[in-house]
Amino acid sequence: MSATVVAASGGEPVGTEPRAPASKRDLWIVFWIFPTFFGLFGVIFVLLARVIPPPRPDVTTDQKVQWFASHATTIQIGFAAVCVVFGGAAIANGYVAYQMKRMTSGPTFAYAYMGAMAVGTLPGLLLVALCFSAATFRPDREPRISAMLYDLGMLSFNGSLGCFATGYLAFAIAILYDKNQIFPKWLAYVSIWQIVTEVIATQMWVSSAGPYAWNGSIAFWLAVIVFGFWLNCQGIFLKFATDRQPAGSRPAD
Amino acid sequence: MTNTEPTALTAEQTDHADRRQRGTHLPGDGHMWLMVLGDLIIFGGYFIVYMVQRAMAPAAYLQAQQHLSITIGVLNTVVLVTSSWFVAQAVRAAADADYERAVRLIYGGGACGVLFIGVKAYEWTMKITQGYTNSNEFFMFYYMLTGVHMFHVALGVLILGIVVRELRNPRRRRPSMVEQGATYWHMVDLLWLVIFGLLYVMR
Repeated sequence: MSATVVAASGGEPVGTEPRAPASKRDLWIVFWIFPTFFGLFGVIFVLLARVIPPPRPDVTTDQKVQWFASHATTIQIGFAAVCVVFGGAAIANGYVAYQMKRMTSGPTFAYAYMGAMAVGTLPGLLLVALCFSAATFRPDREPRISAMLYDLGMLSFNGSLGCFATGYLAFAIAILYDKNQIFPKWLAYVSIWQIVTEVIATQMWVSSAGPYAWNGSIAFWLAVIVFGFWLNCQGIFLKFATDRQPAGSRPAD
Repeated sequence: MTNTEPTALTAEQTDHADRRQRGTHLPGDGHMWLMVLGDLIIFGGYFIVYMVQRAMAPAAYLQAQQHLSITIGVLNTVVLVTSSWFVAQAVRAAADADYERAVRLIYGGGACGVLFIGVKAYEWTMKITQGYTNSNEFFMFYYMLTGVHMFHVALGVLILGIVVRELRNPRRRRPSMVEQGATYWHMVDLLWLVIFGLLYVMR
């Protein structure tokens, strides 16, 4: 809802132009899904699903069961919310791909980006919600099975960050080859940091405490700070790219 | 200096030389500087976490550190500092429009980079076969820091390759391109000096 309202006020003044050029309303509606989705994503995963900040990996089975018991309601509300907004991930990444198609580097990288990001979203977003919801579904379940869902959910959510690396690489290469300057060149370099920090995050699969654990300063927090910076930059430059796109134009297929 | 064709002194080159003289010249471009400064901040974060973790268990870190060969560390330091010398000379050669010499020097720098990776790969193989894996916290830092750094060296070799490609094309060669590659390469060198100090030398 908010997307369309903002789109109408922030879009090109289509109706007021005497010559009434082609509208960009469709672009603005889809663009505003990007910040709306990631905003909701933050609210759901921080306040409801409780996976950011991450619960501790170095706790006993009983403590894991207790953790599910004390957060059961918010986890279930969070899962319902995930079901509603999950598709927003595809739209947000799809709109980045749409703008990438305007680059001189051609649409191939755009499709590579879109496909690679779609693969990463399943373990990186959906699976933790499924695991945690399944754990809260039967609170009387055998504790070690609940503990397994706790590990699987968190490892899937944070440990699969490397699955996005291919998408970031496609994004970086496309920017470096592009001459239309749809995104600034330095954003390609920031995407390379993303690859590095997210590959380091794989260490959480062998480390259950300390800086490389799934709640560790290096494996998680540094990666999240870089991701937050990158995502905000991507969103801001997506807006600039939409601003600059001539109304009525569309990229070649 | 024989290859100074009339087309070589473009407006950009004249402007470049002018700004160098006035001291207002930014080597490379702003995009690369953002990469370099951001990279230094991220590595700075890694270094701080390493120091904090080390301060919590100094004896265990010191004990694990004994298994690193300082000779190999020094060898790699010499190799990388030499590569930076080659690249710095290449910047000077390109500024003088002596592009053939610049290309030769960059080949020298790139070869040192490849040698660095070779020595590092040998060291990793030795450590892994000796049983020092990432199950030890010190070695976790060792593999992470040197691994990320090695990735940067590999990226640097690629960037130097791009610089060579641009320098070989008379219409695309320009001193700022060489400076951009050199800015990145010197950062890789600087990071190694800190990593070498932290992992191999600090007691």
